Amino acid sequence: MRHHIENRIYHVEILPPKQETEKLEADLEAFAVKFNRVMASGYCACITDNAMGNLAFQGSEMIEELSLVPGDDLVMIHLNTFHTKENLDGILDSCARLGIRNLLVISGDGSDRLPRLSPSDVGAQGVEAVTSVELLRYIERAHPGFFNLGVAFNPYEPEEHEAQKMERKMAAGARFIITQPVIGLHPMVEKLLAKYPQVPVIVEAWMSKKLDLLSEAVGYEIPEGTPYDPIENLKSLHAIYPKCGVYLSLLGFKTQYDLVKDCWK
Amino acid sequence: MKIVVCIKQVPATSDAKIDPETKRIVREGIKAVTNPFDAYALEEAVRIKERLGAEVIALTMGPPRADMVLREAIAVGADRGILLSDRAFGGSDTWATSYALSKAVERIGGVDLVLCGKQAIDGDTAQVGPGIAAQLGWAQATYVMAMPQVDEGSFTAKRMHEDGWDLCRIAFPAVVTVVKDLNQPRIPTLKGRLAAQKVEIPTWTAADVGADLSKIGLDGSPTRVVKTEPPPARNKETLRIEGSAADCAAALVRELRQKSLV
Repeated sequence: MRHHIENRIYHVEILPPKQETEKLEADLEAFAVKFNRVMASGYCACITDNAMGNLAFQGSEMIEELSLVPGDDLVMIHLNTFHTKENLDGILDSCARLGIRNLLVISGDGSDRLPRLSPSDVGAQGVEAVTSVELLRYIERAHPGFFNLGVAFNPYEPEEHEAQKMERKMAAGARFIITQPVIGLHPMVEKLLAKYPQVPVIVEAWMSKKLDLLSEAVGYEIPEGTPYDPIENLKSLHAIYPKCGVYLSLLGFKTQYDLVKDCWK
Repeated sequence: MKIVVCIKQVPATSDAKIDPETKRIVREGIKAVTNPFDAYALEEAVRIKERLGAEVIALTMGPPRADMVLREAIAVGADRGILLSDRAFGGSDTWATSYALSKAVERIGGVDLVLCGKQAIDGDTAQVGPGIAAQLGWAQATYVMAMPQVDEGSFTAKRMHEDGWDLCRIAFPAVVTVVKDLNQPRIPTLKGRLAAQKVEIPTWTAADVGADLSKIGLDGSPTRVVKTEPPPARNKETLRIEGSAADCAAALVRELRQKSLV
């Protein structure tokens, strides 16, 4: 992941089509166009896993079924705890087949329709529920050394709690960190960088103007009408965190994509 | 073994509206989804098929676009789908709907088991499953939370009720309505969805299933909805508790206890 930062490789989020879509063919086509565009730019395509608990198709199955060609080390699959064991193993095997090594391992958002891994599924003992920590350990055991595992950092959680969680994630095999959306300088991110200077950190830049969704992501209310310019925020993140990579969430492919390449200088 | 799973296309919960004139649910222009309870019925049918071998047939009654729920069913393991669609079915109440579906089951022929969700989330009547059993003259088990044993001639059903559950052994043919405790429905793969899109879904009319026109549609429905009203708005109360984590937790427990919620 370090070379992504050194080579100014953006991490571009792509959401697969939702299961409930009534225009599957068009959505698949749109996904393929976005994926190929990210590959052509030499950026890293980051494919979400049932984001916000909404049922969607899996990233690895999208790539396989649409015969997309992942660039070398240029795909990251999000993987959360809301799967059956069979499904989880299927995704890991599929990623291995496709040569996709980068996984962002998160607890994730559930829903009524999503199953959840049980501790026995991943060989975890002494815990009531599977979190990203147990999932990391399982992946490391099931595919020793194959995957490059990343974890999420939430600077909006209570500091001590989040710091302890991060220690457990690191001990479980995490090798890079992606933050929740950051607007300008955030003291918790500063502390994270100071504590883990050898670990590649990628800060998330919120590229949408939908502040209600951003409020959900950061966990506090951002009043509608608050001035927010995603491109300006992206530039400021590069200036504040020059040693970090950047994850572009909800990037507008039509309006913003061509603008971002000039932001990382 | 031949299993029919009855599936209903319902409006997505958040979008449901009732036409004040006709008192019927507005379906045009509203996002439609598979009735959530029916997904559990389908999953059980597919599991029985995987265990014992069976043909699983998804059956729905509705407008032409209801074929979508049949394709979703095929994507997760149903072998085929049948759409029961005819203007003559329009306005059918639960009894007339049960009759139409039972005629389709008869036309399929050789069916051992009909599985339904316990109710549809739009009408919330829970009458169609039992209605199909009554129309066919078959045994029925409602609110089934487990089917621990299924063999060629019979099955056991664990039925949920207010005071616990009971376990019944029932001979085929039978109708079963299921609750969410039964299983965890699988999620369709993209491969399954794409394959299901290419499957041809036959449409059966009232004439195709030999339905008596006096028993379907508005004229064949013994019930009429004469008035509907939205439920009264719930009073929401927000209490902000401040202080240390321990103080907040204690205050929260105190409040919940005062309201007899814990």
